[in-house]
Amino acid sequence: MSQRARERLARIHALAPRRRVRILNVCGGHERSITRAGLRDVLPETVELIPGPGCPVCVCPENVLATAIDRALGDPGVILASFGDMLRVPVLGSNPRTLEGARAAGADVRPVASPVEVRALAEGTDRPVVFLAAGFETTMAPVAAMLAEGVPENLALLLAGRLTWPAVAHLLDGGEAGFEGLIAPGHVATVMGSEQWRFVAEEHGIPTAVAGFSTGDLLAGIEAVLAQMRAGEARLENAYPAAVRPLGNRHARTLLDTVFSVADADWRGIGRLPGSGYALAGEHARRALHPADGPGTGASTTAMPPGCQCSEVVLGRRRPDGCPLYGRACRPDRPVGPCMVSDEGACRIWWEAGIRAGRQARAVD
Amino acid sequence: MCLAIPMEILGIEGHEARCRHQGVERTVNLFLLADDPPAPGDRVLVHVGYAIQRLRPDEAEAMEATWRAMTRAGTDA
Repeated sequence: MSQRARERLARIHALAPRRRVRILNVCGGHERSITRAGLRDVLPETVELIPGPGCPVCVCPENVLATAIDRALGDPGVILASFGDMLRVPVLGSNPRTLEGARAAGADVRPVASPVEVRALAEGTDRPVVFLAAGFETTMAPVAAMLAEGVPENLALLLAGRLTWPAVAHLLDGGEAGFEGLIAPGHVATVMGSEQWRFVAEEHGIPTAVAGFSTGDLLAGIEAVLAQMRAGEARLENAYPAAVRPLGNRHARTLLDTVFSVADADWRGIGRLPGSGYALAGEHARRALHPADGPGTGASTTAMPPGCQCSEVVLGRRRPDGCPLYGRACRPDRPVGPCMVSDEGACRIWWEAGIRAGRQARAVD
Repeated sequence: MCLAIPMEILGIEGHEARCRHQGVERTVNLFLLADDPPAPGDRVLVHVGYAIQRLRPDEAEAMEATWRAMTRAGTDA
């Protein structure tokens, strides 16, 4: 830890609240940095950091994945491209259960790291290419850029793009929010602007700070939230000024508004949230593949595997090690739920940091 | 999935830039910064192959230093 970070930590201890407070971090990237740096071990005992809904792989509905598997196996000649994490998420009632399994069964499934690769893939073939694109605003902006720059006719999209703030609004509108402070996602805010999070402070009275991803950046965000609590205030603070502007990247937002419309969308384990999903709009709508829905599709939109507590984990209501499957039936090498698959899933992050089942296992209450 | 990396622009051709982070070079798409195009020497934040924002010069140095420290400590987030 740098000298600057140590000084911040000292200030955080000076601001330690007398009674326990819970600070929700929305973003899986934040959770990764917090856990890997061991921040929970060095913060005051009264400060609890809760991982939240910010894992796009975890909240991607099963029917989207089931449709991707069906298309990959069923459509002759199709190439299915997706970000790597999506290939390993198991789907209930599907055979094979994952896109990786579909590849083993002969489907042409390609892991990609960028929409640029997807365009190159489509340009280099006459075969149909399907891009299964899951992600939050940060990732959907590059997807919008890819489409706006132009792509060949053989590219279709199966979209699971989500907006993050409606998930936090859902937690707050439920009555018992379950947290007293918020660390807002720094790279979502880089694209969308810090102003998007003002409602949390001003409408719900919850101290809020947009934070970056280094240990120092995260400590700056935590310090800002605790300082507000100490002063009895609730404001929006930008603790990541290197990248975040009040209105974000305006050109990226214009592209998002042009390429997509915003619609109600399903979140796996949570349900349908109003105005929380991206759909292809205008001239791009013809490229949309729609996930199979309803009875007989082999996959419900929001279900989790039996015993899996991923939905509770995603909502910040249960710690990963409070799930009965954590580390027992469910591990990164044989995951049951999506939270153990993704690099941004709280269960996988905790497991890889060495946190083992049974130790401090309890629900977040 | 929202992981983004600060990179320095070495050269630009059209909507593409050659960028460097800790000695590794990558081609980065600049389309999302078309309103306010960056120049060689600028630092940008890169996510899934696209620059999503220019970093403020005064802050970018500190961010790079933090990244170097984090890499030494064996973390990558």
